Amino acid sequence: MDELEFRRRVYADPDTTDPEVIAAAQQDPDKKAFREQLRLMNAELKQAAKVPVPDDLAHKLIWQQATDDFVQQQKRTRWYVALAASVALTAGVLGTLIFTQQPHDLGYQALAHVVHLEQELPRISRSMDLEQVNAQLASYGGSLKNAIGDVEVVNFCHLEKASGIHLILNTEQGKMSVFVIPQEKGEKVPDNFGNEHYDGTGFTLQKASIMVVGEKGSNLKPMAEKVRQNIQFSA
Amino acid sequence: MLGLRKKSSPRQVSSDMKEKQKRYEALVHAFHADIFRYAYYLVKDSSIAEDIVQETFLRAWRSLDSLKDEKAAKSWLITIVRRENARRFERKQLDLVDIDDTPVADETSMAERSVEHSEMQRLLASLSVEYREPLILQLLFGYSGEEIAEQLNLNKNTVMTRLFRARNQLRDIMSKQSEVRGQQNG
Repeated sequence: MDELEFRRRVYADPDTTDPEVIAAAQQDPDKKAFREQLRLMNAELKQAAKVPVPDDLAHKLIWQQATDDFVQQQKRTRWYVALAASVALTAGVLGTLIFTQQPHDLGYQALAHVVHLEQELPRISRSMDLEQVNAQLASYGGSLKNAIGDVEVVNFCHLEKASGIHLILNTEQGKMSVFVIPQEKGEKVPDNFGNEHYDGTGFTLQKASIMVVGEKGSNLKPMAEKVRQNIQFSA
Repeated sequence: MLGLRKKSSPRQVSSDMKEKQKRYEALVHAFHADIFRYAYYLVKDSSIAEDIVQETFLRAWRSLDSLKDEKAAKSWLITIVRRENARRFERKQLDLVDIDDTPVADETSMAERSVEHSEMQRLLASLSVEYREPLILQLLFGYSGEEIAEQLNLNKNTVMTRLFRARNQLRDIMSKQSEVRGQQNG
């Protein structure tokens, strides 16, 4: 091994265990001396490389990790809380929406009511006079000037969203229902409605929604007209 | 792995955490000193080095699961120190005027061993970073030429040349200084 190569290798790693380097050093006192010098310098360099480390560094690193962990956990918790809050909010908004959402319109409610009532009717079969009808209507501030037909039943009724008076009349076209519902704010009564069994018509009169429901295909107009002309509301 | 995690009981998780904690503390004790020294020789500022080391170990904690064995951990830590340093370098390039490229002033006498060491430290720090870094890796971590090459993503021959030049430069400076001292003393 020539001088240059020997020096290169020793400079690159004075503590090398390369057998060629060691053999070369043994054969040549100059090379040996050079290697010794470099090894000495390297020992000093190693010593020098070990700059003092801040005393508490290890503790800081461990403490920092514990804190980080805590913070991460907090963040995670915050995340969960945020999620929970968001879920709660969503539920609240949805709930409110559903709650305030317009229920089925009055017509639909009336139809549903009629279906139910039909099943209870047959046993009761007596005519109500005008006075009896007006006694019921009075609680909503209404009255009929003249009888509107053969009223079989007059009663309070509770629809999905509203309540009022329900009259059931016997007519030539079969049973007809007349609903008198005090008007709710914004509540609109449909002009015409119906399902497979019944048809209905509605209108608004002063503070009330009036609906007439009869069997499918029946002409509801005469009855509706009769009610319109005869019903009146105080104040 | 994730699947197993999900199924494990809270007690299991907390014992996993303790296990992780233990591993982390072992990692800190094994490497913090040399990692600090390495960072110090990269940035040549004790408090900045400390910041870098803290950031490095924080990252180590967060990805401890991926650090399988000691050798991998050491290499991983070194890589993170380098990355953090590079990041800092990008952030404030202006701060890094290399005052150390100027020759080291010889203020100290040869009186004490510790002083001599600090002089050697300054000599080490005075090397340009491309020579300094492989040398420090060799001195601190006992890395071979191959290992340094791998760590720094360099060719092995390049590394050997740099190590050679680093020591050659140091030796030159030292012999010049002792000549100057010899003249002053004589």
